Amino acid sequence: MTATAADVRSILSIQAHFVPSAAAKKQSTSQAKKPEGISRELYSLIGPSAPSLAAQLQKPQLKQKPRLGSSAVRWEWRKFRNGARGDSLELGHWVKATADPDTEYPFSKYNVQTAHFIYSQDEYSKHLEVDPEWTKDETDYLFNLVREYDQRWHIISDRYDYPGGPHRVMEDLKERFCNVCRRLVRDRPWAGDEASRVQLISTFMFDKERELIRKRYLANLDNRTPREAEEEEALYLEVKRIEQNERKFKRDREELLRTLAGIDSGLPDIVEDELPTILFDSKKKKKGGLDADSPSTPVSAAPPKQRPQPSPRNPVYDALHCITHIDLPVTTPATKAAHQPSFLRTYKLPVPKAAVVPKISQTLAEINISYNRLVMPTEGNVARLNALIDATLPLVETKRVLDKVEYDIKVLKERLNVRSSAPVEEEAGGVVDAADGEAIEGTEEGRAQSVVSTRSTRSRKQRRSVSVSSVDTTGAGTSRPPPKRQRRN
Amino acid sequence: MVNYGGDEVSALVLDIGSSSLRAGYAGDDTPKVISPTSYGYIKALDDGDFSMADINDTEVAPKPKLAKSFIGQSGPSVWRSGMEVANPIKGGLINDFGPIHALVEHAIVNVMGCNPSEHPVLVTEPSWNTVENRERMAEIMFEEFQVPAFYISNTGVLNTFAAGKGSALVIDVGQDMASVTPVVDGFVLRKGLVYSSLPSLIHSGAHRILTQPTHTRRGIDLFPHQLIANKSPVEPNSPPKFTLREDRLTGTTNSWRQWYEAREVDEWLQTVGGVLESGWNDQAAASRPPKQYEFPTGYNTWFGAERYYVGEQFFYHSPQMSASNHSLPKTIPALISESLRSYDIELRQVLMGNVVLTGGGSLFSGFNDRLAAELGRTFPHAKIHAPGNPTERRYGGWLGGSILASLGTFHQLWISKEEWQEHGKGIVTQRCK
Repeated sequence: MTATAADVRSILSIQAHFVPSAAAKKQSTSQAKKPEGISRELYSLIGPSAPSLAAQLQKPQLKQKPRLGSSAVRWEWRKFRNGARGDSLELGHWVKATADPDTEYPFSKYNVQTAHFIYSQDEYSKHLEVDPEWTKDETDYLFNLVREYDQRWHIISDRYDYPGGPHRVMEDLKERFCNVCRRLVRDRPWAGDEASRVQLISTFMFDKERELIRKRYLANLDNRTPREAEEEEALYLEVKRIEQNERKFKRDREELLRTLAGIDSGLPDIVEDELPTILFDSKKKKKGGLDADSPSTPVSAAPPKQRPQPSPRNPVYDALHCITHIDLPVTTPATKAAHQPSFLRTYKLPVPKAAVVPKISQTLAEINISYNRLVMPTEGNVARLNALIDATLPLVETKRVLDKVEYDIKVLKERLNVRSSAPVEEEAGGVVDAADGEAIEGTEEGRAQSVVSTRSTRSRKQRRSVSVSSVDTTGAGTSRPPPKRQRRN
Repeated sequence: MVNYGGDEVSALVLDIGSSSLRAGYAGDDTPKVISPTSYGYIKALDDGDFSMADINDTEVAPKPKLAKSFIGQSGPSVWRSGMEVANPIKGGLINDFGPIHALVEHAIVNVMGCNPSEHPVLVTEPSWNTVENRERMAEIMFEEFQVPAFYISNTGVLNTFAAGKGSALVIDVGQDMASVTPVVDGFVLRKGLVYSSLPSLIHSGAHRILTQPTHTRRGIDLFPHQLIANKSPVEPNSPPKFTLREDRLTGTTNSWRQWYEAREVDEWLQTVGGVLESGWNDQAAASRPPKQYEFPTGYNTWFGAERYYVGEQFFYHSPQMSASNHSLPKTIPALISESLRSYDIELRQVLMGNVVLTGGGSLFSGFNDRLAAELGRTFPHAKIHAPGNPTERRYGGWLGGSILASLGTFHQLWISKEEWQEHGKGIVTQRCK
């Protein structure tokens, strides 16, 4: 092994007289200077300080010589007084001898007292004697505790032990304190502007009932057994899955309707939320971890959702704009399920029985009305159409009977003609005749009635045809299968 | 210096526990003095020649003139003819203030070499300390040691500070007492404070296991090594071969003997005792490897399931056991749930996320894991802070005191001698909330 001169030099820590390579030099000079205001340690972490080759190529430096010239910083044991103390206790600590002995103790500035309310006997009897549950002594006691523990309510309620007083929970104490403070702010003369006063009052707002409800929710949440929590989780996932299926179904249906009939389904929109992530993530998530969407997340105290107040009704305005109100039963909760979605009234048109559909459409076609198409399906028109179809049904029925009877008559007449040529069986035929005559009479009467009713219906229709004027428009309309409606409630 | 809020005024921190007394400078990370709280004394009717006492620096003349007491590392542990051993602490509280002066003086003056009149002193107390006790402590400090300033703070709060927290549920398992202390913003919630003498029960259970004969071995003699003249090695589980020091047997007092037996039991507990991490299970206990242990008599054997049976008492009492003894100390889970019941539901989440495990008793092998398992069953988000460093775990109270007394903002809270003289005892309760 041969040692180079450089090795020897470095072993002996002799400064080398070789010239560092130009690149190294360049790099070392190009290093950015530390900006002001950042400590050296921090800068070395965040600054352009990737350990470069330059550091290693730098010439070896000798150990720094101790600076013997300047004297060491002197520290001395000094007594001091703490401005935050009320007495003359003198403690000692080490400080630099150069430090100014007259400066205030640096930690005394942290001794801040919070402002607190004091009321006089007069004020108490004037403004504060409203709650019969609280005596002045107990209120004093409460205020002392609040001051002593700087409004740390958990501690206050822990230490609260007013001799002879009733048991009070934290919310009682808070409520009383806030009530008193609010009153004091309100009733005292106020130096500042009104806004700051209102703001101050608002800081003393405390809703005890709501707080108690919140605590109860919390307790319920906390008292679930692990099994219940698991079940809840499972149910939640199940609900999500069902919702997803429903959404899928709705989408398919919508698509189908759009392609086949070119219309929207009118099904209610289900609020799209990031379901897939929940479904798949919650399985991956650590068991017991709190995920944001899981039901085990403590719910913040939101008051139960109020049903929106229905707008006041104006019959005249409603009539003019064809507005109808659908009243939900009061007992149904304001949930998605109970919601009646908006729909095209066309879909609520009455559908006659499949067997009589052709007959009815044929009958109505005589008066230029399509049973499943209304130009202006207002509620009134729909109701009338409904009535019309209801009326058409017996008409069609009667016509069917009529046709049958006419056919029977025809057959019997044929038979009669045959019989007259053979008078041997006259007697027996007479019996039949009598019965037939009766039947004919009955049908004649029924026919007359039915004609009248048909006529009256027709005339009614024609009178109304301006408004109802149903037009059998397209072939598509008739070929379309009767819309299947899904009951949502 | 100011950056970290510290300002050291060379305060002393004094932490008196059931097993040991800790003293040291505020700002240090370990106490300078750790000496047993138990002390030896001789009812000195014939105050004559004690050659050993002369050698011993720790000998102090206590207040009762009839007795001679022996304090410190070589106090009670050294055999002395006719020496009794006593402990001033009972149920975590100072029961007998007689030897307290001597104990404190030994620690501060003799071992640390300090003059107590030059240093403010912070003393710790258990959370269930009585008002009389803390006032008496203040009196001793001001009147007998002439300290310039004094403060008394409870170990629950200090353990919270030692863990770097402001609010925590402190589970402190000491030598005599186990306690659960809810601390919020540096204040103890007194209604949620519960404690029991569970460690004593564990100890007596272990004592019973060792001394009572079983079908595989006979009862074990717990002679301390001071009473054994010689012994020879024997095979495991075979009868020991040893001779006792007959000369010492007559001079040995009952209390010294008991104290030393307790030490042997503790040592055994600490060496082989353990807790099963996930609840008692006969098979699991049997499947663990047994451990060998040798007693001072030379008797040695393997301990299998027994060593887990002892620790199980921390967490579970069998129904027949609790039926036979109604005043049985509560188990740790029972203590925790009782504590949790007594305060606001809102705090549960906070406190269960900040459980601090401390005290020498919690160093029981497997204790931490078992506690985590027990808590995790009902509180999935429970988080246990348990220092891995045994010193920190055992002297957490002292460490918290050391932190507190070296804070610049704390110095306004000291009760000064002036205030003591002016206001009298009442100021202690008023200042140390």
